[in-house]
Amino acid sequence: MKVDKVMRTDLISGLVVSVIGIAGFVEALRMPRFEARNADPFTVPGLTPGIVSFVIAVLGLMLVLRALAGRGASETLPIGVWPEGSVKRTLFTIATVVIYGGALFGRIPFIAATTLFVFVFTVGAEWLNPQRRMGLPVLAGWALALSLVAAFVVHYVFTVVFHVRLPG
Amino acid sequence: MDGLNQFFGAVVAIGMSADMLVVVWATLLGIVVGMIPGLTATLGVALVTTLTFTMEQNTAILVLICVYIGAIYGGGRTAILLNIPGTPANAASALDGFPLAKQGRAGEAMAVATSGSFLGTMVGMVGLALIAPWLAEFALDFTSFEFFWLAVFGIVLCGQLTSMDDPLKGWIAGFLGLLVAMVGQESLHAYSRYSYGILDLEAGFGLLPVLVGAFGCAEVFVVMRQEATTLVASQVGGVLRSALKSFRYVRTWLRSGVIGTFMGVVPGVGEDMGAWVSYAAAKRASKTPDDFGKGSTDGLLAAETGNNAAVPGALIPVLTLAIPGSAPAAVLLAAMVIHGLRPGPLIMITQADFFYSVVAMVFWASVAMLVLGLLLTRPLLLILKVRREWLMGVIFVLCAVGSFAIAGRLFDVWVMIGFGLIGFLMRETGFPIAPMILGVVLGPILDNNFRRSLSLTQGDPIPFVTRPISAVIALLVLLMIVLALPPPVRRMLGQAKVRLLEGRRADG
Repeated sequence: MKVDKVMRTDLISGLVVSVIGIAGFVEALRMPRFEARNADPFTVPGLTPGIVSFVIAVLGLMLVLRALAGRGASETLPIGVWPEGSVKRTLFTIATVVIYGGALFGRIPFIAATTLFVFVFTVGAEWLNPQRRMGLPVLAGWALALSLVAAFVVHYVFTVVFHVRLPG
Repeated sequence: MDGLNQFFGAVVAIGMSADMLVVVWATLLGIVVGMIPGLTATLGVALVTTLTFTMEQNTAILVLICVYIGAIYGGGRTAILLNIPGTPANAASALDGFPLAKQGRAGEAMAVATSGSFLGTMVGMVGLALIAPWLAEFALDFTSFEFFWLAVFGIVLCGQLTSMDDPLKGWIAGFLGLLVAMVGQESLHAYSRYSYGILDLEAGFGLLPVLVGAFGCAEVFVVMRQEATTLVASQVGGVLRSALKSFRYVRTWLRSGVIGTFMGVVPGVGEDMGAWVSYAAAKRASKTPDDFGKGSTDGLLAAETGNNAAVPGALIPVLTLAIPGSAPAAVLLAAMVIHGLRPGPLIMITQADFFYSVVAMVFWASVAMLVLGLLLTRPLLLILKVRREWLMGVIFVLCAVGSFAIAGRLFDVWVMIGFGLIGFLMRETGFPIAPMILGVVLGPILDNNFRRSLSLTQGDPIPFVTRPISAVIALLVLLMIVLALPPPVRRMLGQAKVRLLEGRRADG
C-alpha cells in the first residue's frame, strides 16, 4: 500500500512538473526576438527559459512514466503518513500565517498585528496539542505575555537597534 | 608565506579589537538558533543578514560567519537530547548521539560533538586557506563557457547528492529553481520575462525571501505538522574530561574533516552531506561497525566533524567562484553582495586582505564555539525546554520581518509565504529543496554565460565541448547522469550501443 501511495504521489507530482515545463516552454516561445533591433538571435530572452522549461517538461514526463511503470524510490514519503492531528495543525498554521502575512502585516500597525498573530497562533497550537496540560485561562495569559513581549522586542530590535524600517 | 602572514595578521587584528565581543555574541546566537528545531542555519544567517545592514562590512560578515558556524554546531545538541536534528546538518548526529543520551551519557556525547565540531572547522579552515587561493587562480582561466558548465554541474551534482535515492527529483528541483530565476528583467535586452505586467515581478524573486520561505516558513509548517517532543533525561556532567578523550580518535576527525571540507566545496551540497558521507566512511573504517546507530562515539564524532568541516569548505566556491557550497553559504554570498563585496576569481587579486580576514573569522568563530559549547552546557539546555510549538509563531514573525526588511516590499512577504508552501509540499513529496535554491542562485549565471557564449561563437555549440576545461566539466556532467540512471535504462543504453556498433560493422 505504501508503494502505491509513493507512485500516486509521483504521478501527480510528475504531471504538475510537466505542466509547469510545458507552460514555461510555450511562454518562452512567445517572448520577443527583437528582429527589428537586429538583435543577435542567440541572445533572445526566451532562449534559456525555453531550454530550461523543455528539460523540466521532459523530467516531469519521466517521473510520470516511472510512476506508471510502478518504479521509484523505496522509502515512504512524508505525505503518505498524515494523522488527523497533523492535518488540523497544518491547516491551522497555513490559515494563520496567510492571514498575518497576507492581510495584517503592513496594513495595520506592526505591534498590533504581531501581538494578535502570536497570541492566536500560540493558543491555537497549544489547543490542538493532545498532550496539553494547561487550562484555557492560564494558556491565554501566557500566550498574551509571549505575544506582547515578542511584538515589542522584535519592533525595538529592528527599528531602534538596527535601524530597519518596519511596516504599519 | 605571505598568505600565512596575512592570516596571522588578521587573527591578531580581530583578537585585539572590539570584534571579539561580536564573535562571542554572534556565535552564541548561532548556537541558540541551531538548537531550536525549526530555526536552521540558513534561516539564522538570512534573518541576521537583515540586522547587519547598518554594520561595517567586515563586522557584518564576521557576525554571519559566527552565526553560521554556531548554528551548525548548536543543532547537534538537539539531535543528542531530543533525537530531532536542530538543523538538517545534524541528522546523522542523532543516530548515535540520542542512543548515547539514553544510556545516560549525554554529557559525553555533547563533549564529543563539541570537540568534533571544533576540529572539523579547523580542518575546513586549513582547506579554505589552501584550496581557495589555488582555485581562484585556476578560475581566472574560466570564460563564459566554463561558467555555464559549472552552473549545470552544480545543479546536476546537487540534485543527485541531496536525493541519493531519487536523483530525478533532485534534478527536477534544480531546474525548477533555474526557471524561478528566469522571472524578472533579464540583463541583455532588459526584457521582463514571466512578469505579465506585474511591477513587483519585474524585479524578479529576491533570493533572501525565497530562502527564508523555503527553509524557514516551510520548517514552521513541518514542525507544526509533527507531534510534540520531549527532552530525554540524562547525565550532562564530565563534559571537559570527555572532550579531551575524544582527541584519541585522530584518524576519524582527520578523515571526516577532509571529507566534510570537500563536500562543502561541491556546489549546493553542504553540511548535511558532509555529515552523512563522513559517518558512512567512519562506519566502513571502524573495527566495530555494529556499534554504529547504537551509541558509537566514533560515529557521532564523524558526523559532527564532517558537518562543521563543510562550513569553511562551502565558503571556498563562494569566495572564488561566487557559487555557494551550501544553502547558508548562498545567503552569505547574497549578504556579501549586499555589503558591497565582490566574491569571484579576482578575489585574491583585488581583495586578498578580505579573504584572509574570512579565514581568521572562521578561526575565531570555532574557538568561541569550543569555549561556549564546553562552558555553557547546562545553561544552554534551558533552551531545549521551551516548547517549540510556542516558538513557531515568533519564528514566523521573524521570517516576515526579515523578508520585508531587505527591500521594504510587502511583495517579498508574500513570496516568502508562497515559497514556504512550495518548500513544504516539496518536502512532503520527496523533492529536495537545496537544488531548487541552488537553481535560483545559479540561474542568472547560467543564462548570461550561455547566451554570451553562443553569441561569441555565432551559435556554434562546438566550443562548449572542445575547450579543455569545458570538456572536462561536460564529461563529468554526462558521467553523473549516466551513473544515476536506473540499471534497466543503463542496460537499454548498453544494448543500443551494441546494436549501433554491430550496424556500423555491417555497414563497414
